[in-house]
Amino acid sequence: MFRSRSWFGSGLWKPKNPHSLEHLKYLYNVLSKNQIVSENNRGLLVETLRSIAEILIWGDQNDSSVFDFFLEKNMLSFFLKIMKQKCGSYVCVQLLQTLNILFENIRNETSLYYLLSNNHVNSIIVHKFDFSDEEVMAYYISFLKTLSLKLNAHTIHFFYNEHTNDFPLYTEAIKFFNHPESMVRIAVRTLTLNVYRVEDKSMLKFIRDKTAAPYFSNLVWFIGNHILELDTCVRNDADHQSQNRLSDLVAEHLDHLHYLNDILSLDIGDLNQVLTDHLLNKLLIPLYVYSLTKRRRHSQLEDTKPHVSSVLSLFLLSQVFLIITHVPLVHVLASLILTGDMDIFSQGASEKLTSCHMAQGTATIKPGFVAPTETLEKSLESNTTCSINSSEPETSHTTECETASGTQVDLDPAAAAENGSVDSKEVNVNITDEEKEQRLSLENGVTPPAPPLPLAGNNYQQQSLANKPFLEMIINTLQCSENDYAALFALCLLYALGHNPGVSRDLLDGVLFLSEKPSTENWYNTLLAERLIRIISTSCQPNCRVRLVTLELTIRLLTKLVMKSGQSYLHDCHLAAIEGAKEESTCLLRNFYKSEEIFLDMFEDEYSEMQKRPLNVEWLMMDSNILLPPTGTPMTGIEFSKRLPCGEVERAQRAIRVFFLIRELSLMLAMEPEIQLPLTNPQSCVQVNNLLDLNNSNLIACTVVSKEGSKIRRFLVIDVIQLILVEPDTRRLGWGVAKFVGFLQDIEVTGDKDDSRCLHITIHRPLSSGSSMNRVPLLSARFIFDDHIRCMAAKQRLTKGRIKARQKKMHMIAQLLDLPSIVQSCPSPPAYTVLATTSRLASSRLGREPSYHRPLFTANTKVPGFATVAMRRESLPPPGRFSPTNKRSDSQERLAHSGHVVRSREGSPKLPRPRSEEIPLEDMGSKLKPRGGISSVASPAPEVNNGASQFPSRRPSFPSLSPAAPVGTTEPLPTVTVPTLEPPVAAVGNERPPAPPSEETSFTQLPSENEAIDKDERKTRRRGMVETV
Amino acid sequence: MSYAYLFKYIIIGDTGVGKSCLLLQFTDKRFQPVHDLTIGVEFGARMITIDGKQIKLQIWDTAGQEAFRSITRSYYRGAAGALLVYDITRRETFNHLTTWLEDARQHSNSNMVIMLIGNKSDLESRREVKKEEGEAFAREHGLIFMETSAKTAANVEEAFINTAKEIYEKIQEGVFDINNEANGIKIGPQHSPTNPSLPSGSQGSMQGGGCC
Repeated sequence: MFRSRSWFGSGLWKPKNPHSLEHLKYLYNVLSKNQIVSENNRGLLVETLRSIAEILIWGDQNDSSVFDFFLEKNMLSFFLKIMKQKCGSYVCVQLLQTLNILFENIRNETSLYYLLSNNHVNSIIVHKFDFSDEEVMAYYISFLKTLSLKLNAHTIHFFYNEHTNDFPLYTEAIKFFNHPESMVRIAVRTLTLNVYRVEDKSMLKFIRDKTAAPYFSNLVWFIGNHILELDTCVRNDADHQSQNRLSDLVAEHLDHLHYLNDILSLDIGDLNQVLTDHLLNKLLIPLYVYSLTKRRRHSQLEDTKPHVSSVLSLFLLSQVFLIITHVPLVHVLASLILTGDMDIFSQGASEKLTSCHMAQGTATIKPGFVAPTETLEKSLESNTTCSINSSEPETSHTTECETASGTQVDLDPAAAAENGSVDSKEVNVNITDEEKEQRLSLENGVTPPAPPLPLAGNNYQQQSLANKPFLEMIINTLQCSENDYAALFALCLLYALGHNPGVSRDLLDGVLFLSEKPSTENWYNTLLAERLIRIISTSCQPNCRVRLVTLELTIRLLTKLVMKSGQSYLHDCHLAAIEGAKEESTCLLRNFYKSEEIFLDMFEDEYSEMQKRPLNVEWLMMDSNILLPPTGTPMTGIEFSKRLPCGEVERAQRAIRVFFLIRELSLMLAMEPEIQLPLTNPQSCVQVNNLLDLNNSNLIACTVVSKEGSKIRRFLVIDVIQLILVEPDTRRLGWGVAKFVGFLQDIEVTGDKDDSRCLHITIHRPLSSGSSMNRVPLLSARFIFDDHIRCMAAKQRLTKGRIKARQKKMHMIAQLLDLPSIVQSCPSPPAYTVLATTSRLASSRLGREPSYHRPLFTANTKVPGFATVAMRRESLPPPGRFSPTNKRSDSQERLAHSGHVVRSREGSPKLPRPRSEEIPLEDMGSKLKPRGGISSVASPAPEVNNGASQFPSRRPSFPSLSPAAPVGTTEPLPTVTVPTLEPPVAAVGNERPPAPPSEETSFTQLPSENEAIDKDERKTRRRGMVETV
Repeated sequence: MSYAYLFKYIIIGDTGVGKSCLLLQFTDKRFQPVHDLTIGVEFGARMITIDGKQIKLQIWDTAGQEAFRSITRSYYRGAAGALLVYDITRRETFNHLTTWLEDARQHSNSNMVIMLIGNKSDLESRREVKKEEGEAFAREHGLIFMETSAKTAANVEEAFINTAKEIYEKIQEGVFDINNEANGIKIGPQHSPTNPSLPSGSQGSMQGGGCC
């Protein structure tokens, strides 16, 4: 050590330039004089090896003579000599690192070939390093990986020797396929993939004939054991104690599947055949599919065959179908699940595989999840060293299988078949009467009796599920009797089956999709549809145990099942059931409809959340948390949609989401666009830099002082829903440019104690505006007005504007919820606006008409502010055309009437978005006048009754919702079982004890319209929506 | 070589930003900066000392393996720290950070410490990405940030060591489950099984620390 230092320090023999041929020559001398590794020269050797790497790379990039010298002196042989002495990890590691650097950095191809040409590298690869040393192991495997990245059609011949059937780089590497260190395993996998993608026929033949069966059978066994471990973890963790471990195991399984898919995607026919064969017969069928039959209640029965819980097997199979797309594999697996019976455990997938034109007959192996008979290392040895003549691939397969079944009697295929049939019989023994009934009906191909729905000749799809135990199990799992724990996975599996590009459409025709066969065109699987609809209906029950994610997925599946290119083929009876569910969800939500401030924010927030984050099944299936029984507590850290609600607020949130989901489904089935949501239509809002006609508008001059102290002179305009700060337009008198816009509903105004001309105004960012992280207010500033009076006026108008903006939205929600009373507390637009707009409306607003003529259960009441919607919309220039004169007159009329500032937006950029539905705040003081022409009030009562009588046992009944009826009695019943009218209070009390009905009733029991308004406003003030000073 | 903990790192970022050079510079810093010599390596290990404890860092470069989804996925999951590298002289490498970060966040465990590194700080004249931009990006996404030069070795030590400090702190806070090796953290063996006559770093080679 000291010596090495002094050597370098003295620089006696060392050339001054470390990057020169001379320096390499000097290093060569050092190496040749220190061929025996000793305690004393270790440091020197390491330093020399390190320097060699550096100088060689320098030479490769700058001076070819350096490399020539290295090769000429065969310096790599020194490396080998050093290595073969037991030199300890210190030298070994540097040696491997030097090699790593060499192969990683060499750019010159000839140099690379020379380095590889004398087989030294292969000798290094097969050298038995001390792999118990984790550092040696890491450097060694990195070295192999680095080499594999250099593989191509030319370099492969340096590593694979056709004549000796030798490929140490690959065979040495795969011996570490199950190394405990994950990084080592990953390196091995990288290497294998790098090898497989080299296009060299003879090499690939070697891989297939000599290594594929041993490697894949071991790999599959390794994966299977991981799954058993995962199963144990799930079973033992009902209390969510080991989420970390569970999530690792799930992620690991995903890694396995991705790895398998990466291999299969390389599309190497021969290799894929062996892999598919092993996967199906040694893992997927005997373990995954077999476990489908293991419903929980039978798990007490001793089963000697390895299996996991049926829930887990549904989860794992979903992952398989979400990730792997190799056609022969997924197709065979899908058809086994959808049509197969217990025989597959004895026969395996051979038949299917043969029919799938991918297996040339003989190669398939007997099914069974069994350990490989010998270690991979041994199999590789025997395979590669045995005489070249016995290179028939089948040899290794059959011997392996025979010995397997010989040694492990209970895993014998014949026994497996027996077990399988026994199991299927036992299923019948252990079930409840109800299930038995269902089972019988399933076997007879008739839908369960519960809702006696007429079937439009769909028997063909239900050709007895009896011989399809796996499909039957999946369908039966869709019952959410206790909770939706297993149902969610069944849904996922069905979804994954339907979305896998490798599963042929033919197989799913009439099962998961509308039939396209001529004889049964547009028929759908009514049994499945009914199961899905039942989940949807169940979700609308108070305190039900169906999670939001389950509902969303159910809806997704249902639309796939019954819709084709936007067209719904749902039978009327099923559609009626959906509409019934929609009513129930509306009912459920009505109980949470409060005038409490948070309800509106929640409503809008939930909407934007759902729009921003639609369900992603792939991500859902990565979440190990759903493997644990559903909980209600947020303390597990589980996302809201994946657990049950906890507390009143979350129940309200849930009700809101259920409402949105089912509403969307209903609209989609009716092929109608959503025109009432979101509540704020961004289209109709003023944007920054819009030009506004402010003639005759109320403008309040002010100076805006920001927190940083900057002062800007602006004019404050208070629109129906927005606060706008404008700057006069220099080109047109009376016009202004919007410099800032914010929603009145998010405003907070306080006076200034010391300055009566001052207001502190904060405008919060709407939750729906996107970045939920950024909760910095949109604006927080001091506004200084010209005088005390103007300040007061501004404050009053802002405060009132906020209340009204919120009231307006609450009215819109009430309208969405068919709450009838609201109409009375709400004004209608003045008659002249109606006149001014109806004619134009007829053409332009035709698009929205249908939604007010819902086929069932239409209970729309007269809509507050409807006329203004029309007018307002008209007043906005539609994309591409606009009429300034009309607009001007509209706005001015409105202005004159309401005293509100109205702006026009000439030249403002607009996105074409016809579905917009913004109802601006109308003057609350104006007179009520229902506008039947636009809102097309349906008389809902008879239709509702129709619906109710159609589903006497399940549908809620709605009393007449006629708007003229006294409000107190029109409280719709949230009950689902009692079809008669009950006093609202009782209903609330019975059904939802936690829901405080006070606000609700105050909304619905207003005796007269004027009083309603007064009370409304009083109430809002009392609640302190705006801080008045 | 005994250690208290072993931390596994990965290095990610566009090709050509100098990932493997950073790695080599850190693990084998005797590679003297020479003009027109770029040299890197895919794997390296080094011992450092934090809080009086020996900590071994293992750094795995993931370059060239992007073609396989299974591989990137697994690498992310197995690491306790990630160095996300961009090249300050190439704007596009900075623009791709979001994608890298998304990938990392999606696949890694949530506790993984990510350090943002603007490499090639020696090439000031060709700079395309301002230091402030890197800082802002890091702040926005909750990353540690540093500008380094693999060539001059400026800040290279600090980058790796600060990341390790952060991981170490998380261990102290109990955020990391150290018994779960899938997190990229391993508790060291009590005593070194290997050659006791060669205490770590004594040769001043692989170990940056105590050189005699």
